[in-house]
Amino acid sequence: MNRSRISFWTAVATLFVGAALYSAQEARAQSASPTIGEPAPAFTLPDTYGTEHALADYRGEWVVLEWLNYGCPYVKKHYNSQNMQGLQETYGGKGVKWLAIVSSAQGKQGYYEPAEMNEMSEQKGQNALAVLLDPTGEVGRLYNAQTTPQMVIIDPAGTLLYNGAIDDKPSSRPASLEGAHNYLAAALDEAMAGKPVSVPTTKPYGCSVKYPG
Amino acid sequence: MNETFRAVTRWNVAVVLAAGLAAAPVPLLGQDAVADQDSARPDPSPHSAAALIAETRSVQPGSSFTVGLQLTLEPGWHTYWRNPGDSGEAASITWRLPAGVTAGEIQWPAPQLISFPPLASYGYFDEVLLLVEISTGSQFGAGDSLRLAGRADWLVCIEDCFPAEADLELTLPVSDAPPGLDRLTAPLFEAARAEIPGADSSWSSFARFKEPWYGLKIDPPDALGSVMGSDLSDVHFFASDPNVIDHAAEQSPDWDGETLVIRLARSGFSAGVPDTVFGVLVTERDGAGAPIAAVKISAPVIVAGNPAVEAETGSGLGVALLFAFLGGLLLNLMPCVFPVLSLKVLGFVEHSQQQPGGAARQGAAFATGVLVSFWVLGALLLVLRAAGESVGWGFQLQSPLFVGAMAVLFFLLALALLGAFEIGISFTRFATDEFVKVPSRTHIARNPTARSFGSGVLATIVATPCTAPFMGAALGWALLKPPAQTMLVFTALGAGMAAPYVALSLSPGLLDRLPAPGRWMETLKQLLAFPLLATVVWLAWVFGLQTGVNGLTGLLSALLLAGLAIWVGARWGGMAAQQPGKAIARATAIAIGGVALLILVRAAGSVPEPGSAPGAESATTAWPEWSPTAAGEVLREGRPLLIDFTAAWCLSCQVNERVVLNTATVRDAFRERGVTTLRADWTRRDAAITAALAELERSSVPVYALYSGRGGDPVLLPSVLTKEIVLEALETYVPVQR
Repeated sequence: MNRSRISFWTAVATLFVGAALYSAQEARAQSASPTIGEPAPAFTLPDTYGTEHALADYRGEWVVLEWLNYGCPYVKKHYNSQNMQGLQETYGGKGVKWLAIVSSAQGKQGYYEPAEMNEMSEQKGQNALAVLLDPTGEVGRLYNAQTTPQMVIIDPAGTLLYNGAIDDKPSSRPASLEGAHNYLAAALDEAMAGKPVSVPTTKPYGCSVKYPG
Repeated sequence: MNETFRAVTRWNVAVVLAAGLAAAPVPLLGQDAVADQDSARPDPSPHSAAALIAETRSVQPGSSFTVGLQLTLEPGWHTYWRNPGDSGEAASITWRLPAGVTAGEIQWPAPQLISFPPLASYGYFDEVLLLVEISTGSQFGAGDSLRLAGRADWLVCIEDCFPAEADLELTLPVSDAPPGLDRLTAPLFEAARAEIPGADSSWSSFARFKEPWYGLKIDPPDALGSVMGSDLSDVHFFASDPNVIDHAAEQSPDWDGETLVIRLARSGFSAGVPDTVFGVLVTERDGAGAPIAAVKISAPVIVAGNPAVEAETGSGLGVALLFAFLGGLLLNLMPCVFPVLSLKVLGFVEHSQQQPGGAARQGAAFATGVLVSFWVLGALLLVLRAAGESVGWGFQLQSPLFVGAMAVLFFLLALALLGAFEIGISFTRFATDEFVKVPSRTHIARNPTARSFGSGVLATIVATPCTAPFMGAALGWALLKPPAQTMLVFTALGAGMAAPYVALSLSPGLLDRLPAPGRWMETLKQLLAFPLLATVVWLAWVFGLQTGVNGLTGLLSALLLAGLAIWVGARWGGMAAQQPGKAIARATAIAIGGVALLILVRAAGSVPEPGSAPGAESATTAWPEWSPTAAGEVLREGRPLLIDFTAAWCLSCQVNERVVLNTATVRDAFRERGVTTLRADWTRRDAAITAALAELERSSVPVYALYSGRGGDPVLLPSVLTKEIVLEALETYVPVQR
């Protein structure tokens, strides 16, 4: 009798423990895209000079990620107008580590061999700390990068604070820069002043990221 | 005519393209040449051309007419819909119009899905005509001419994109005569209009949001639903807002009964959930994937996972199993189960005295009986659902035959308890086991394990009309999950229900504390007959609602004959009776029983007279009948709404309605806050109600869904109501109307 009592309750307990494990696993599987307020996905990428940059290296610093494709008209709007370089300079001066990431696959728009990329950056007056190469698109997918440009802010604790558009004028026309509200600058200003980011995510606009396939 | 304008279109394309290519000495894929030389762009509209055309040859002063921006693209290139999707940009027109002339919005034809995994865009290939309505003032007179000018901007893409622009103009003569159609362009306009999705009120829809998915539920008009058929590969929902859904995510359209269910993933860049999801549903496409039938959809969003019900809903399997176990435990206290189970305890009392150790075996047998019944019920439910039936917990009570059979069973049990007959008729023996006082104790005692199993089955069957607290959440969750998980939840329910008896049977200490058997048991047994008879009254009422007065009369006749059959069988066919009368008596009893069964089956097949709709009587609350349309209307108007999902066979529903919902206090509170109340009566099978319950992740009644009227968020009240609970929920969620 004792034995049957034990086996009954053991069965019940097993059922519950199994269920708990299962649901925990299910919850983990669902978190595919990066969540604002959670740790930013870790990555390591080489820059155009062959130096490896790991996100973890920048722990303790403010980090901006910029998805870049020099061939994209929307990126051109921000570079030909010096808008992007201006932002890079302003926030670089405040200690922000600005990393441009190119997720274009080899042979697709925006992909250049490192030397060629450096030449382009020279021409454009690129002010980012480094241009990182992600031809497999792995890091792009990790951050759900959909367009160029697309901007990400990571705080010194490694927390994702912003992911989205650079501003609120989804157009490739240079004239659209006038009067545009810059989401990135607003979010950085708030965050660096110790305030919560009031608009932590927006729909990015621009050219599609040229992923392989 | 169709062929004519097609020909015209193709010809137009050829001419425009030829002109465009001649003017732009650029290789077809010369992206660098075009895109990288911003300073000197040789072609303002690469890989595409634009024209502004009018439908009519003249304009009447003070009237409006339609013009179109015709975009013609090289093969393989595309341009975008109003919501371009993950990347891209919709075409726009910056008008320069004479004073008093205004241009309307672009009327967008249904788009095509353009997939570049992991991204997706919405747009058009080859050629698109974007219609715009122009309204003129009356300052123009006959003989004037009207000059429309504007700059069109669009993006033309293959995978890489080029901004394109064109300065366009169109001059039309003003004439007092009714404008004649331009024979060349009018067919293009006609074709374009056919491609613009219209709003159609016969398509009802809503979206249920539960992170990270929108479940978009669309009810097409009957005729169309059947035309769409089972192949839904052409079906796609295009959201109008760029930042509501994940454009690239698989939508997996599927039928749930007559409802089209489309799963939309929330956009990873959206901060919140809108009140309404707007978009276009494409239902049919041609061979090239271009839409040929589409309808506008505006689906109000209902947000699940309201904090007030979060605790009851839970999310994972673990929580569901815990709730199922607790629900099963609490089932024992529900009015439908309590009498039967008290008898079971009495059985323990008797047996613990008679054979020590037998109690444990019987406890196990009882638990097995309960578990097996739950498995059978669960499996049956799954099989029926897989076969496309809209069923939920308690579905067997939607069958009048089952209700009638239950009534007969309970009636006979009560008769036996009252000592009206003393026999071991096999079904009574099976069901009632040790609590029927039987002279031939030895005969019955032969297989107490089988009888314990039988009471487990009986307890489960009588439990089905009752929904215990926690149980609804667990079952609702389970039925949306794969079969294995559903069965686990049913197992937990059964384990919960059987647990007290198993525990009791395994604890000699507890059994010892129960009073010794004696005359009091006889008295208690007789007393317990009356709750059973009350159950018969209730079942008869349910049966009457399902089948009408004639049906009810049939059931009562069946009860009468069943009683007669038992009496004849027991009086002359019992163990003590003498041959040969015994055989005759038994045959007679069986014959009468057969007639009773026949009458019951016939009665169960009858239908209430017209005009006495079920629920009209089952309503202890005189609430208007629920329908998706009625509910949708109230919600669209932003009014608060309470839906009472109920059934005549659901005892807790009846109690809640009588004791809480139909009291003056609660009625006044509803009136004061302008709460519309609707009753969804599930007494008989109703696919719409089953679907609505599934929306709320429930598959049983009662469910009380309270909508604040401020969009989204239905609050589910507990399944056992008190006035305080209702009043507090109203206080919290529904503002007082001024």
